[in-house]
Amino acid sequence: MNLTTVPSPPTTPTTPTMPTTLDHLERSMRVPVVDGLQAQGDLLVIPLSVVAPAVGVWAGAGWTDVPPEGVELLRSGAGGNPHTLLAEPGTCRWTTTVRDPDVLAIGVFEATAVAYLLHPEHGAVGCAPGTYVVRRQRERDGHRARLVAD
Amino acid sequence: MSVLVQREAAAIHEEWLGQALSTRPADRPAAEAAITGLYDLIGLAPPRFHWVSSPAVAVATLPPGVRPRPSEAVERLPDWPLPPRFRAAVNALCREIDSRLTPAQRSVDQVIRQRVRLSLTRSAANVLLMQLTAAHGAPAQLGSSWYGTQCVSWVAHYDALRRIGGVELPPGPAGRLGLWAAAARSCGWWWPREGVCVVSERPTAVHTEPWGDAGEVRPHHADGPAVRYADGWEVHAWHGTPVPPWVINDPGAGRISREPDAEVRRCAIERVGWGHFVDRAALRLVADAPDPGNPGARLRLYDLRADTRVLFVVNGSVERDGTRRRHGLTVPGFLTDPVEAAAWTYGLTAEQYSLLARRT
Repeated sequence: MNLTTVPSPPTTPTTPTMPTTLDHLERSMRVPVVDGLQAQGDLLVIPLSVVAPAVGVWAGAGWTDVPPEGVELLRSGAGGNPHTLLAEPGTCRWTTTVRDPDVLAIGVFEATAVAYLLHPEHGAVGCAPGTYVVRRQRERDGHRARLVAD
Repeated sequence: MSVLVQREAAAIHEEWLGQALSTRPADRPAAEAAITGLYDLIGLAPPRFHWVSSPAVAVATLPPGVRPRPSEAVERLPDWPLPPRFRAAVNALCREIDSRLTPAQRSVDQVIRQRVRLSLTRSAANVLLMQLTAAHGAPAQLGSSWYGTQCVSWVAHYDALRRIGGVELPPGPAGRLGLWAAAARSCGWWWPREGVCVVSERPTAVHTEPWGDAGEVRPHHADGPAVRYADGWEVHAWHGTPVPPWVINDPGAGRISREPDAEVRRCAIERVGWGHFVDRAALRLVADAPDPGNPGARLRLYDLRADTRVLFVVNGSVERDGTRRRHGLTVPGFLTDPVEAAAWTYGLTAEQYSLLARRT
């Protein structure tokens, strides 16, 4: 596994989706860039190769370039605190047309440069260039299943 | 311009949220005048008014001497004859105002739609629908329903357009908007039947917490009912989830363990704290293991019930107070290995989850 450390992720402070409460985490640390599995609270970033071929992108899937303000992957149970995927323009694309037998995948992103997942409360996650599936977390109580929203 | 619009929109949002969550006694003469005006709008004579102390009473009663028509039984509210007529009047009013907007006003309209209307709809859905659902004993919906027609969100939208969008309305639409605004400002929900209108007082207490980026709120009160009416009717809520009173007032470990509803149980456990619950309920530790990717933290798997275990996990990042949040995840009872249980929550095998490089 490749583990390097780079300066904090790109910030675009004028965009409304940018978390504003990262200060207690981000100012004091650098965000490790990892090419393996990373958990950010109730989200898990998994290299696609780990779960392929069971999980994959449908043929003919539409891909979207990650815009400068990022892609909001998931909001927390409290509505705010989004998990946001950020990347330098032209280096990351994203699709939600994903085949996942466990129905936990939010989508797949393909990055040619380091991409970041930001969250106002959890630490930021840096992903080395590669293809990753982003999955939610589930619970089951008796016969009742629910997706975790922390 | 945009910053100013945003700021003013936020202020108008606050103002109307205050109306929606108001705990002031109803202004009965103002409410009756406004509703009479709305009946007149759809070509009907003034109704007889029947004031009630809470939505729970509203859905259960009619004034003495009034025999309910089968078509106006409360459980058939979606099919009542009058709400669609009011709805049509609202739609016509909205179309009329929308058609007057200049291109510049349309851009302001977009901001207001997002910052005022959408956020008020969300808050109303959280706080008010919870009460109506409790009152009806069945899920209530905003959407295109009668409750949506009464929701302050669209009134606030057009109020904001007039105040910060520079939209000037002729007396006709201004008057109609004014009637809806006056009704929204002066009483609780109302139920229009032909000839008689049941109107509810507002609650005497409403407790909420912020929930969202645009000033939205949801019901929550850790020490008592989230919403309370003068007649004693109450609704309890834990971070937006409606719960029975015991969850807030008397959440004992035994009672929590016996609770069949997983969502209610989760709220009750959070109310007392997972650590406290595990100790008090004397849960049996099945196994524990280091959490891959989360140095120093352990995964602990406990028996909860016959078919369910609970996995205790520790956040990888510190909270603002310097502590690490611990929480419990319920998992199927066939899982015996904490790493396998953690893996299951993400749909992975234990081997795959063991590759975890980092947890934040």
